Amino acid sequence: MATVEMHVRTETLASSERKSNAAFRLMFTERSEEVFPLLIDEIIALGYSRALIAEVDFDRAELTPTVSVNCSKAFLQKHTASLYAMENPAVQALHAREPRIVPSVRKHGAETFLYPIIFRDRNLCREAERMSAPDCLAVANCSSSRKLQQNQQVCGSCDLRAYAAAVVVELPRGHSHASLTPLKRLIEMANHSLSRLMKAEHYFSRMSNMEVTIGQMQTVMESMADPVILTDTQNRVVMQNKAAERFFKLSEDVSEDRVRAVELNNMLFSAALSSMVVSGSDASRDLTLVDAIEGEEVLFEAVSAPSFTRDGRRTGVVTVMRDVTGLRRAGEELRSNYERLAAAEEVVRQDRDRLNLIIENVGDPIIVCDKNAKIVLLDPLAQELFGTEKEARRPPVRLRNQARLDAYITAFTHSFSERESAPLRLVNPENNQEVEYDAHSGKIFNERAQVAYTVTVLRDLTAMRRVEQLKMERRMLEMEKFAAAGRLAGTIAHEVNNPLEAIKNCIFLLQNAVDPQAQPIYGILKSETERVARIVRQMLGLYRNTEQVGQMDVNAVVEDTMILFARQLERAGVRVQMELGALPSSIGSADQLRQVLSNLVVNAKDSMSQGGLLRIRTRLWRDGVRDYIRIMVGDSGCGIPGNLLDSVFEPFVSTKGERGTGLGLWIVKGIIENHGGKLRVRSRASKGTVFKIELPVVR
Amino acid sequence: MESRGHILVVDDEPSVLVTYQLILEQQGYRVSAALTSAEARKILSNKDVDLLLCDLSLEKQKSGFDVIAFGRAVDEKLICVLLTGYATTDATDWADERKIPVLFKPIEIKQLLATIEGLLKEKQEIRQGSSR
Repeated sequence: MATVEMHVRTETLASSERKSNAAFRLMFTERSEEVFPLLIDEIIALGYSRALIAEVDFDRAELTPTVSVNCSKAFLQKHTASLYAMENPAVQALHAREPRIVPSVRKHGAETFLYPIIFRDRNLCREAERMSAPDCLAVANCSSSRKLQQNQQVCGSCDLRAYAAAVVVELPRGHSHASLTPLKRLIEMANHSLSRLMKAEHYFSRMSNMEVTIGQMQTVMESMADPVILTDTQNRVVMQNKAAERFFKLSEDVSEDRVRAVELNNMLFSAALSSMVVSGSDASRDLTLVDAIEGEEVLFEAVSAPSFTRDGRRTGVVTVMRDVTGLRRAGEELRSNYERLAAAEEVVRQDRDRLNLIIENVGDPIIVCDKNAKIVLLDPLAQELFGTEKEARRPPVRLRNQARLDAYITAFTHSFSERESAPLRLVNPENNQEVEYDAHSGKIFNERAQVAYTVTVLRDLTAMRRVEQLKMERRMLEMEKFAAAGRLAGTIAHEVNNPLEAIKNCIFLLQNAVDPQAQPIYGILKSETERVARIVRQMLGLYRNTEQVGQMDVNAVVEDTMILFARQLERAGVRVQMELGALPSSIGSADQLRQVLSNLVVNAKDSMSQGGLLRIRTRLWRDGVRDYIRIMVGDSGCGIPGNLLDSVFEPFVSTKGERGTGLGLWIVKGIIENHGGKLRVRSRASKGTVFKIELPVVR
Repeated sequence: MESRGHILVVDDEPSVLVTYQLILEQQGYRVSAALTSAEARKILSNKDVDLLLCDLSLEKQKSGFDVIAFGRAVDEKLICVLLTGYATTDATDWADERKIPVLFKPIEIKQLLATIEGLLKEKQEIRQGSSR
């Protein structure tokens, strides 16, 4: 475009020479800005004295003289105007696209010739032709006679900005219309030349702009971390960035592995591309490629978009690949975490359900309170007892129960013990009867080891008390029975005792008076009588000792008994090993226990006819509820035959034949059971026998 | 054969009483027998009894304790042996207090004879010791 600066030419050339050269000069001009100064020169050369060219600035919508010859300031001013100043003849001429002659305002003034120059052509430009666009600005300006509109002066096809100018020539006085023809031709030629130059310059500037854009686009592409590949319609790679080269291009120093990797990648890529092209215009798919340098498998998400020219011709496909290995891995991790979370949630839910089930089925009232001893949770049974605060009018029974519970829980919450159990008397709201509960409480601490909650379970002791009572009654009955049996035995024994005494005495008196033939019969008489005497003695012993219950020191009883039998055992060759643990004193019958121990020691001695070892051990044992005294009496004797082991505690069962009464262990068992204890026996033939006594400590 | 000593046997059961008497006589003792406590007291009053062998339970609520007490009242050093079919702790405690041996029926005759012999021997030794 012409420069804004004004070109002023004053020299004149020979007109004949000019005529012939003017066309060439205008034709060979290389730059658009040279056209107007040349045109002015040629106009002056045609013989006109004064001329100017005013150009339209479409941005400012102004007409301004840019080149002039011999023009006065006033003349220049006259042709400086807004495009909207319709009274200005130059502006009128421009809008009309028609040259005109303007008479002078003064009487003898010179006329001026106004010729509008505008970018126009009868033929479509190449660009519009290629795009088969109907509107080329040049053609539009050629045909239209509308007013010049600044916003319409940009070509819709090629973005070219049009130019417009007015050539103003002062005509000599008395000129003819025909004499204007060379001038018109010259101006037309200049316009033609200018329009070509403008076009060329426009294309050039567009080309350089495009180069810049291409450079920018390449930078963008290269700087992308994701592989970007441009392929043509035959799926051949046209362009790719560095990230893509890592996978698809072979460099010079390649190993065989890398060649294989790249070949594989290319195959995979073109296969994916083909299927994408077939499947749709815009598609994405997963693609696993091998990193040719690292050798790792990389998972990509390839997004492909076909590229088109402006006229809709397909030129190829642009593929951008996103490395989703990490993403996928993160996704998988997320999924597995979610699954784990869901599983954990399921476990928690099951636990909660199980806990609820347990709470529902405990069958005892459960109360959960917070750190201020305020009730937070009651199970249905506890609600029966205390009601809920939601209840509008709670019966006084429940209020009283709650008051008692509150007192207990408040005390427990502020106590130092972590768990506690205490009796709690509450009233059953159904029948208004007092029920004795055993309250078991525990504390739940928060992370700062402060009491967060307390849990209390109430156990109804009524049923347990009843069972205990029954047990006690049964034991009393058993003891009564045993005592009665003992008394009966005692009575019988006593009644038998005196006749037996007489018989025994008679046998003794007869010992020297018996006929030798009758001696065996006398022997039987004597031994059987002695046996009866032993039985009677046992039975009387049982009766004798059913009284006298008091504090007893089990260890002392053991020691007494052992002193009593020390000599007998020594004579029988039995060694004694005693191990007496510290024991509390317990209520029981020391006499009866002495009888028990005597029986067991005598049995042990009798089982060790060749001598042996007698072990006696006492020990205190706790099962968490009660204390027990355990007494063990073990020997290394002949043992109890297996067939007798089960019935050894029944009356009249003996391993000693003639010498035993079969009552000893029966009595032992009776005494131990009377004391609420247990008696067990273990025996192995020719190895020995162990009796274990377990007596509850009664204080 | 010289008498080994005078023993008074008290028992309310005649057959028992007779057989004890016979056994002791066989052993060479002079034996008096009493079925009732009244009889026993009569014999004890003669003050020639060396040893009193007395059953605990006698006729009609009478107890051997009474007889022994009477005997000791007559002769405070009288040797006594209490015989019984069954004994309460009260009875044995009573006997222990007075250093009176208790023999439980049925009595082993050998044990009875050994006890009597031992007691009399002891008494004789004391008497001999004191007379010397």
